Amino acid sequence: MKFRDRTILVTGASRGIGAAIAKAFAAEGGLVIVNYRRSEAAALAVVETCRAAGGQALAIAADVTVAAEVEAMVARIAQEAGRLDVVVNNAFAPYVFDADNRARFWETPWSAYQAQVDGALKATYNVCQAVLPLMRQRGRGSIVNMATDLVARPSIAYHDYTTGKAALIGFSRNLATELGPLGIRVNCVAPGLVWPTDASRGTREAVKDMLIAQTPLGRIATPEDVTGPVLFLACDWSGFVTGQTLHVDGGLVMS
Amino acid sequence: MVEFAGHLPGLAAAEVEWRMLDFAAWGESVQVSVPVLSEAQALALAARVRENARSYLKTLSVAQIVVTIDKAVARLLDRDDPLRQKLEAILPIVTGYDRETVRLGLSGYLRTFRAPQLQRFLTEDFANPGMLDAFQPAIKGGFTRAYGPELLLHIWAGNVPGLPLWSMISGLLVKAGTIGKVASGEPLLAGWFAQILAEIDPKLGECLAIVWWKGGDEASERIWLGEADTIVAYGGNDALAAIRNRVPITARFLPHGHKIGFGLVSGAVLDTRNAGPLARLVAHDVMRYEQQGCYSPQMLFVERGGKVSPREFAALVSGELASFARTHPRRALSVAEAAGVAAWRSAEEMRAFDETGRAVLGDAGDPWSVVCVEAAEGLAPSGLNRTLKIVAVDSLDAVVPLVASHRAFLQSVAVAAAPEELFRVAALLGEAGVTRICACGRMTAPEAGWHNDGRFNLLDLVTITEIEQSAELAAEGFAPYVD
Amino acid sequence: MQGIRPTMRAFGKAWLDVTEAQIIEALLAFIDRGEATEAAFEEMALAVFAYQFAHNQPYRRFAIQRGRTTLTVRNWRDIPAVPITAFKDLTLSCTPPEQVERVFMTSGTTQGGVRGKSYHPTLAVWDRSMLVNFRQRFMQGRDRIAMGILFPDEEAMPNSSLAHYLSLAKRECGSADSEGFIGPDGLDLGRLIAGLERAETSGEPFALLGASYSFVHLLDALAAAGRRFALPEGSRILDTGGFKGQSREMGADAFYDALSAALGVPRRACINMYGMTELSTQFYDDGNAFCPPVKSGPHWIRSRVVDPVTGRDVPEGTTGVLAHHDLAHFNCVSAILTEDAGIMVDAGFKLLGRVDGADSKGCSLAVAEFLKAARG
Repeated sequence: MKFRDRTILVTGASRGIGAAIAKAFAAEGGLVIVNYRRSEAAALAVVETCRAAGGQALAIAADVTVAAEVEAMVARIAQEAGRLDVVVNNAFAPYVFDADNRARFWETPWSAYQAQVDGALKATYNVCQAVLPLMRQRGRGSIVNMATDLVARPSIAYHDYTTGKAALIGFSRNLATELGPLGIRVNCVAPGLVWPTDASRGTREAVKDMLIAQTPLGRIATPEDVTGPVLFLACDWSGFVTGQTLHVDGGLVMS
Repeated sequence: MVEFAGHLPGLAAAEVEWRMLDFAAWGESVQVSVPVLSEAQALALAARVRENARSYLKTLSVAQIVVTIDKAVARLLDRDDPLRQKLEAILPIVTGYDRETVRLGLSGYLRTFRAPQLQRFLTEDFANPGMLDAFQPAIKGGFTRAYGPELLLHIWAGNVPGLPLWSMISGLLVKAGTIGKVASGEPLLAGWFAQILAEIDPKLGECLAIVWWKGGDEASERIWLGEADTIVAYGGNDALAAIRNRVPITARFLPHGHKIGFGLVSGAVLDTRNAGPLARLVAHDVMRYEQQGCYSPQMLFVERGGKVSPREFAALVSGELASFARTHPRRALSVAEAAGVAAWRSAEEMRAFDETGRAVLGDAGDPWSVVCVEAAEGLAPSGLNRTLKIVAVDSLDAVVPLVASHRAFLQSVAVAAAPEELFRVAALLGEAGVTRICACGRMTAPEAGWHNDGRFNLLDLVTITEIEQSAELAAEGFAPYVD
Repeated sequence: MQGIRPTMRAFGKAWLDVTEAQIIEALLAFIDRGEATEAAFEEMALAVFAYQFAHNQPYRRFAIQRGRTTLTVRNWRDIPAVPITAFKDLTLSCTPPEQVERVFMTSGTTQGGVRGKSYHPTLAVWDRSMLVNFRQRFMQGRDRIAMGILFPDEEAMPNSSLAHYLSLAKRECGSADSEGFIGPDGLDLGRLIAGLERAETSGEPFALLGASYSFVHLLDALAAAGRRFALPEGSRILDTGGFKGQSREMGADAFYDALSAALGVPRRACINMYGMTELSTQFYDDGNAFCPPVKSGPHWIRSRVVDPVTGRDVPEGTTGVLAHHDLAHFNCVSAILTEDAGIMVDAGFKLLGRVDGADSKGCSLAVAEFLKAARG
């Protein structure tokens, strides 16, 4: 029970990778804060799954791109749990991964970049600012930010999305430098294409086949593939690891 | 593993009763046999040491003694020396301090006793150290010579490795016949050092003895106190008061009570570049010897107004202590010590409930603890064993009234400030009774020639014999070559 | 617990609705059930914790600071134990303190006169806890026994939990000729000697109960008077609380040897009660033929020996600090961290004396010496 007595906030945890991560922490005994924006029913289902897995969970609604909502959520965590050990910044702005009809650079307005920077970076910024007092008080914590392997290898040029995630990686490294002396670690997990999730459900077989052909481990990631690396970076097994980006894509990217 | 403590010239091991002290730490254990002397043995040993010192030690020049001590210290500094290796292996088990702390602490400490540093000791106290060897002309006229005690008794306390060497070497430099009583907490080093001296100069080895009795054992204490003409004693005030009550009125008693150290950090130095490294140095002082030393910091006063606030600095210090917890793990605490740490921390937690300006950092179970308070608070001990209170102040001058009422307990202070402020604050601290001001990171490593507790290490031990000018002039009149 | 069990789950919000009356009723039933498995104790402990977490604000803050809330606490050992000094610093009460029936206070001898307070909205649970346990451990099947009390009575010391304890014992378990021997002027030796003489000749068992230091005074007085007694078979002694600077200190063996010699009560019939103002339940040993004896309590209190820094249990057989979890102390906090050293053994624990703040191992000034100097 690696996360017994630990409290973990997973943003965007009502579905997909976030839900899988929440359940994985719960299975290791953790108290998981299941953050969601609108899908309350889905979030409550995740809470039930977490409890069934042997952990404890609490669903809290908050739009992570809105600072005030994030602060209210963290205040509630402080009251309900008294501590916060791990934050997984998983929520991201809606994005359609459509290799066939993606916007090329000259078709991409700045507003699209802005939306992705807000979705990836501002949300993470809000959460990190809000949780810092709790983590600083205890002098420990692990922040795991969900990036993408597209930053290292844009197999398909999703300009706005990938740029937002690239900014997130730079943000994470600076944060790691600043917070290391305070005992707080910051790392990124960068999955490749994860299937099935709501965002990847429409991905064509041809795209998957192309990626599989170039992936040493010969398949596409599942949401469960992502949970192990996240849990690793969240616990003290990675106690001397910070500022890193862990690629979870079957070896597609090696760096 | 059984080790023998003590150094008993003229007494065979078989003649002596030994008591076993058990030590265990870091998964290993060691037994130390300490000698329990009968009254007759003690009296004979005292007489022997006194006589040998008179007939040999006092005939040596200080320079010769320095050479011998230097050789002995060189052996202990040599990491290939078997005895040094034994020290590194066994002292961590005996004292509980981690290996690296013992290794680095020993080396740093022993370096202050090499020949050049010993010269420094001598010149700190004697304008002309030659007065320990022969009468030297005095400025006022006439001649003066300094004599060490015939029999100097050291009563050591505590488990900080090497601390006994300070007074022991001081005694040898003034040619005192030396009896050292080791503490049960660390009974080994003094005896081993004496044995090295004896190997280098066997006759010198006959001029000192290292003994043991159970702390507070009145009967044993009385025997030794009755033999010595000068007594240097370390310990808490209760223990010292008990000893003082038994010291003959004709003997000189030099007590070194427990002390509380602290630090001052000027706001002007707390920028984002300096703060991190400075926090590490502060944490180092806290970590080294688990705050068991009289020079160890138990409180830190941090001036507001810097780019890095006292509260932020506290978090940095806590972070550095977290790192040290990995590289230099805290010594295993006794139940009483653990209860002391927990009581200190939980009392702070309780107060934090009612005060917004009080933060208790870290987890209750952490092997260190930092508390930060925004309101001025008087100097007080922490829970020791890596527990530190950081007090925010509006100016460093405001610290003086917070410490002044504890004058009797003041000794070392670390100051991080620009030169002008350093000297201004130093003057105020000195007035308040502080006797040593050093840099952060150096609190547990006093420099060679340090005046422990603001006293003269050597000068306090000696008596001066003066040939007044009148005698010299009168003697001229009696000279055979008088005209 | 029937009827309210589903709402008293520590998880979720239902515990907010639990009233004091329900808790009291549940606890009285729990005490009366005769025994409790680990699971039953845990269920009740979680419910009581939830109640205290909801209604005792300082304790709630303490628990949150320790990261222990109704969400994170999952078994009774997770429930954070409050150091007993907190009873001096904080007002630990689920009910507004001005509304309680009784306040028990510590003697204030250890911390510069500041007295720790325990608030009791009713003494019903305290009394039930005391009596059920006392009957079993001290009365041992007797309905009543002639008692001599070596402690001021409840009227003289209304804030003393020991005075209440002894008054309750005398009222509920003492025979009609039971009496107290400590008055406004201290030990009434003449009357006590008369009482002992009567007991000696009556052939009926006699029980002498009181503070340990009062027994020392008694021993000294009897020695001075050159008196010894041989109380009838079945007589027994209950001492409690140690010497607290109120009498000379005696080692346990010397103390019980002296009692046995002076009163003719064998050491195995000399029972030491270990109680605290910060608890509503007492511990007993089964006589002091050998010291230190094993102490144990009833099924509604459980003890642990912990590392005071981490709060975690030390391995069995290792010395640590005693922490007690007393469900009956429902209005304050049930989990307390004592200042007593102990060691877990089969069937209970051994009490090894107080853990005072350690002196420095080196030459740094420690709290104890500093405080002593500050007091002058």
